[in-house]
Amino acid sequence: MTGRLGKYSLWQFRDFFMQHGIGIAIIGLLWGYTLLAPLRAAMSAQSPTPLAPGSPIWGIVLQITSAVVSVSVLIAMNGIVSSDRKNGYYRFLFSKPINRVLYYAQAFLVYMVGVLLIMAILSALLRTILPSFNIGYFVMYAALVYIAMGGIGFFLSVATRYDWLSLAAVWLGSRMLRAIYSGPRAGWKGKVVEILPPVHRLDDVANSLIGTGSAPSSDVAWLLGYGLLCFILGLVLLRYGSLAD
Amino acid sequence: MAELSPTRDANRRSTAVVIEFKNVGKTYKSLLGNSVQAVEEFSLVVNEGEILGIAGPNGAGKSTLISLMLGYLRPTTGTVEIGGRPARTYVEQNGIGYLSELVSINPKWKAESTLVRFATLAGLSEEEIPHRVEYVIDLLGLGEHRDKKVKALSKGNLQRLGLAQALLRDERILVLDEPTHGLDPVWTQRFRDIVGELRRSDRTMLIASHNLDELQRLADRVAIIDRGRLQRVVSTGYESAAPAVTRFRLTLASGFDLVHAAFPSAEEAGKGEYDVTVQSIQELNASIANLIARGGLIASVVPERSVLEQQFREAVGES
Repeated sequence: MTGRLGKYSLWQFRDFFMQHGIGIAIIGLLWGYTLLAPLRAAMSAQSPTPLAPGSPIWGIVLQITSAVVSVSVLIAMNGIVSSDRKNGYYRFLFSKPINRVLYYAQAFLVYMVGVLLIMAILSALLRTILPSFNIGYFVMYAALVYIAMGGIGFFLSVATRYDWLSLAAVWLGSRMLRAIYSGPRAGWKGKVVEILPPVHRLDDVANSLIGTGSAPSSDVAWLLGYGLLCFILGLVLLRYGSLAD
Repeated sequence: MAELSPTRDANRRSTAVVIEFKNVGKTYKSLLGNSVQAVEEFSLVVNEGEILGIAGPNGAGKSTLISLMLGYLRPTTGTVEIGGRPARTYVEQNGIGYLSELVSINPKWKAESTLVRFATLAGLSEEEIPHRVEYVIDLLGLGEHRDKKVKALSKGNLQRLGLAQALLRDERILVLDEPTHGLDPVWTQRFRDIVGELRRSDRTMLIASHNLDELQRLADRVAIIDRGRLQRVVSTGYESAAPAVTRFRLTLASGFDLVHAAFPSAEEAGKGEYDVTVQSIQELNASIANLIARGGLIASVVPERSVLEQQFREAVGES
């Protein structure tokens, strides 16, 4: 008799909602409302259609919404694997007839559904003040960021105990190092930063994907590929590594 | 109290399940290159139907051995097999009833829903879950705590919840690490009764404990570990280990002046109490028979140390 992992996904979803989902929703609401509502009010006074893609305010909307997605993924990945290891919860979980690789792969997917659901709700609320905002495009972008950033976060959660901190460091560090060491003069440092997460590609992708629903395929492939590779590496580490210290 | 009842899959089993540690070693290495040998050249076979105790001082490697058996740690050398398969493979395919030394359950979960979660992971069907959860709640007296969050449970109740999740399914292997840790005397005795009821010819149990008296009562054999090495395996029956016990406390109701005739080396230890030294159980029985024949009335005969305690002290160098 093997464990009913599929059925357990409902409990995982509940855990996501209680431990991460509420926090993500509150941060998204507060951030979105406090920044966008006054901005819209100010811009409406100047122009009758201030919020169409390409308008001056559109860039700010993109910045804020894409930042909400990144922070949401950061919160979602916080402790996805490391929490069970740090707190010793793995002991009872994996004495049951279940495969730990499948258990955490399922958690990653369940959390993705949770994040996308919250992003859909938040963007639906955003649409009430920004009618031109497309929910479908935004959810697509959130899915892309979840895989790209979440895949790295998943790997870090398997490999370290300080996953959200190291994910934030990797994410921001990649951006900064690419900004410093890019171009032909960077030499070997430029080559090294090439293997860092392709965070720099997100800006263009956010602009086109949230605005038009399409994005340069090479950028999307880089982001998805990097995230999936890290996710798979995390699963391999789970399979062959030790859960206990 | 509920009676111990098997789940549906109990009748579908036939293959013998033997746990085998083959020359297992585990070394922890730090990033700075320091290493600690937690387990060294450990070989042991645990037979089906057996209750094996694991005893050892703090830091002897008991919990490491259990983590190796459950596949939470990978051995540095050697292998751990259950039923001829790598231990982790066995656990992933069959599950094991496991109570860890530290009962770690998410403090925000409620007691009853914790059991439902673990029952789902254990593979119990939707129909079985309510019955089985009710059964372990009843068995371990958790009824009044079922709606409490884990963080609100006392240490003893948390330990009982840990034991309850281990008994959710009718497992063929039970591993209990310090099972009576935090239990009051009533529940310690109840636990011993439960283990007695769990004993079955196709069920293997491992009990790691500091409490030698507990292991003496429950286990068939006890593996004594010290500094990561198996020092000896002791049978807890008196018949085969009689030479290990040589001193007994004899208490007489009457016939005090007859003691030295039956036990020439007897030392008075209190009112009507004498410490006697013998070379074997046969000698002990013959001397007691002699004393009774002379008219002595014996109230009790208690070994100064249990077989296990004597062996333990010798094994860890504290004789």
